[in-house]
Amino acid sequence: MMEPPRQVVQAFFQKLQRLLDHVYCSIFRGSYPATLKQQLAVVVNNLVLHVHPTRVSRRSIRVTSTFGLGLICFYLFVIEWITGVYLMFYYEPSVGAAYGRIQDLDSVVTFGRVVRNLHRWAAEAMVVFVVLHLCRVFYTGAYKPPREFNWVLGVLLLLLTLALSFTGYLLPWDQLSFWAVTVGANIVGYAPVLGVKLRFLLLGGDTVGGEALLRFYTLHVIAIPTVAVVLINYHIWRVVQDGGLACPEHEEARSRDSLVLTFPLVVYKELLVFVWLMAGLLVVSLLFNAPLEEEANPLQPNNPAKAPWYFLGLQELVSYSAFWGGVIVPTALTLFLLALPYVDRRPDGVGVWFARERMGMIILGSLILAGVVITIVIGVYFRGPNWNFYWPWKGWPGPD
Amino acid sequence: MDGPEKMERWLVSVSLVLTVILGWVAWDASGQEWEGYQKAYFRLALSRAKSEAQREWVRAQPVEIRQLQPKERGTAERCMTCHLAVDNPMFRDAPEPFREHSSLLASHPAQRFGCVVCHGGEGRAVTTLEAHGQGSILAKPLLRGDYMQAACYNCHSEETLPSKATAAVVRGRQLVNRYLCLGCHQIHGQGGEEGPDLSHVGTNRSWLWLYAHLARPQAAVVGSTMPVFSLSRAEIKDITIYLMTLLDSRDRLRNSPLLARKRTKSLPPGEPGEETGKETANGSEDSAGEKFKYDGRTFFRGAGCSLCHSIGTKGGEVGPALTYIGRKRKTEELERLLRNPEEILPGGKMPELYLNEEQIKALATYLSTLQ
Repeated sequence: MMEPPRQVVQAFFQKLQRLLDHVYCSIFRGSYPATLKQQLAVVVNNLVLHVHPTRVSRRSIRVTSTFGLGLICFYLFVIEWITGVYLMFYYEPSVGAAYGRIQDLDSVVTFGRVVRNLHRWAAEAMVVFVVLHLCRVFYTGAYKPPREFNWVLGVLLLLLTLALSFTGYLLPWDQLSFWAVTVGANIVGYAPVLGVKLRFLLLGGDTVGGEALLRFYTLHVIAIPTVAVVLINYHIWRVVQDGGLACPEHEEARSRDSLVLTFPLVVYKELLVFVWLMAGLLVVSLLFNAPLEEEANPLQPNNPAKAPWYFLGLQELVSYSAFWGGVIVPTALTLFLLALPYVDRRPDGVGVWFARERMGMIILGSLILAGVVITIVIGVYFRGPNWNFYWPWKGWPGPD
Repeated sequence: MDGPEKMERWLVSVSLVLTVILGWVAWDASGQEWEGYQKAYFRLALSRAKSEAQREWVRAQPVEIRQLQPKERGTAERCMTCHLAVDNPMFRDAPEPFREHSSLLASHPAQRFGCVVCHGGEGRAVTTLEAHGQGSILAKPLLRGDYMQAACYNCHSEETLPSKATAAVVRGRQLVNRYLCLGCHQIHGQGGEEGPDLSHVGTNRSWLWLYAHLARPQAAVVGSTMPVFSLSRAEIKDITIYLMTLLDSRDRLRNSPLLARKRTKSLPPGEPGEETGKETANGSEDSAGEKFKYDGRTFFRGAGCSLCHSIGTKGGEVGPALTYIGRKRKTEELERLLRNPEEILPGGKMPELYLNEEQIKALATYLSTLQ
C-alpha cells in the first residue's frame, strides 16, 4: 500500500523539524526561550550575552541615546580582527616581500582584494567611530561620577586605536605608507630629551627600514591588539558595573519602571546594527579600493609627504612649530582628556545631550574638537607640494 | 514602541540585503578578465589542434593562474596567465595575447629570465590595465618598440649587440652630452650637483614620466628649476631610452655572475624590439573572445595621458588642455592621432604610445565627448 504523497512530505518535514530542534537544543540547552524565566536565563547563562544586565531601560536602547556608537566600535574591532587574520596568512613583514604580497592580495588571492579593502576601510571607520563615541559621551556628560574611570579607559582605547591604525599604515610598504610613517615618526622625534630615543625605539633605527617594518608588524598584529582586547573587555564590563547608561536623576525612577528584557529585543537590536554595518562596509569595500602606490623608495620622497590623515592636524601644526605642534599640543590634548572627569565632577546634566547646566564645558570641548577637525581638513585638502596652501577646487597644483 | 517581532522582521530583511551583497562579493571574485582569455585560448587551440591527442591535451588543461619564478629575478611573474602560447609554434600568426614569441625566446628562456626584464610592466598583476602598467600613472608601463633597447642594454654590453639594437641608446647618450645634462646632473659620479643624481633614474621613473618631464620639467616636478629644452619628439624619445638604461644594481642583471660568463657570446641575428613593438597595433585582438572593455575615461587617467594633458583643472601642462578637444577634432581624427602622432602633429611632442586598436577606440570615443 502506498501512502498518499502529501503525508510523506509532511512526515519528512516533521522529522526535519525534530532534527533541527535537536541540534538547537544541543547547542543552547533547552528549547527557544519563551517564558520570562527562560529569557532571563539566556542572558545570564550565555558566555557572550552575560555582559548585559538581564533588563535594560527603554531609554538606553533608544537610538538617539547613543546612536549605537560604542557597539559599532566593538564590531569594527572584531571585523578588523577577522580580516586581519586572513591577511596574515598571505603577508610577510620583510622589505623584499611585503609589497609583492600586497600586490598578490589585490590581484590573485581569492577575496584578497575585498578583505584588504574591508580591513582598510573598517580601520579608518574605527578611528572615526571611536572619536564619535567619545563625542557622544562628552556631550551627554556621561564621564561624570561614577563613570570617571571608564572614560579614562576609553581615552586609552582611543590612543590604542590610533596606534593600531598607524602601525598598520606601514605594512603595505608602498610610497604612501613609507613616507607617511616617516613623517609620523619624525613628529615623535620632536619630543624634548627623549624624542630621538623614542623614535629609535619605535623604528629600530634612525630611518624607516626593515627593522621598523618588523617592529610595526609585531606591534600591529599581536602587541597592541592584546592590550586592546583586555581594555575593551574591561571597558564594556565597566559600563554595567557603573550602573548602565548615564541617566539624569529625575528620570531615573521613571526609567526603572520601564524596563525591557535584554533577550530578545536588545540582542536583536545589537545584531541588526552588526548586519547594517557589515552590509555598508562590504559595499564600500567592493566599490573603493584601498590605496596602493608604487613600492617604497627611500630615495624618492613623495611631495608632499603626508602622515596618515588622523595625524595631519598635528603635521599642520608641526609646519608652524615643531615643538608646539609636535609636543605641546598632543600632550596637552591627551592630558586634558585623561583629567577631564576628575576636574569636571559636578553632577549636572548627566545623561542629557548638550545640557544647559554645563554649557561652558560643552563650548570648550567643541572649540577643541573644531580645532582638531579644521587642522585635519586643512592638512588633507588644502596642502599641496612643499606643504604650500592651495584651494582644492582650483585643482592640484602639481602632477599626479 | 518596537517589539521583538518588528526587530525580527528588520533582522531578516537586512540579512537578506547582506546575503545579496555577499553574492556580489562572490561574483566580484569570480569571472576575472584572465579567465576569459584562457577560455578563448582553449577554444582557439581546440580549433587548431591537428590530432585527437592534441585535442585531448587541450581539454585536460585547467583554467588557472599560471606563474613563473624566473631564476634570475626572484619575484613571481604571471604574464603567461594570458600570454599562453609564447612557446607554441602553432600560434605564430595568432592574435595577441596568444601569439608565439619571436625567436629571441629560445636564447632568453623565460624560466630563467622571465618576461619583465625585457618587456617591463608589472609581472604580478593579472589584469591588462595593471600588468601592462596602465593601472595608474605610478605603474611601470610596458616597454615597446625602440624603448625595448633599454632592456637589451640592461644585460648585454654594447659591443655584443647588433648596432640596430643600441642605436637609440647611443643617440640618447650623444644627446645627453650635446645638451650638457652633466652640467647639472651626475651620472655615475660624473657631472654637476645642481640637479638630482641620474645614476639610477631608470629604476625610479617610468619612461612615460621621463618623457613628460623632458618635454616640460615643471609639469612633472613642481618648482623644478630645470630649463625647458626645445627638444624634438625623436630627441626626447632617444634621451628617455638612454635614461632607462641607468638602473639601480638590484634591477641590473649585468652584475649576475651567471650572465657575466656568457655575455661575450653574441646574440642570434634579429631585431630585438621590433617584434613586440608592432604586434599589438594590428587590431587582431578582436577575436580573443570575452574581452575586457576599456573605459576611455578611466584609461585616460590610468595610461599616463594626464601626466601631460589636463581636462578641466586636473592634469599636466606639457601638452594642450583637452577640456574641449571634442569640438576641435573628430573621433576618426583622434584615432589617427593616437595611432601615429607624427601624421597629424608633425614635429610635435606627443609620443607614440603603442596602444592597441581597442584602447585607441575607447580613448578617441571618450575624448570626442569632451565638448
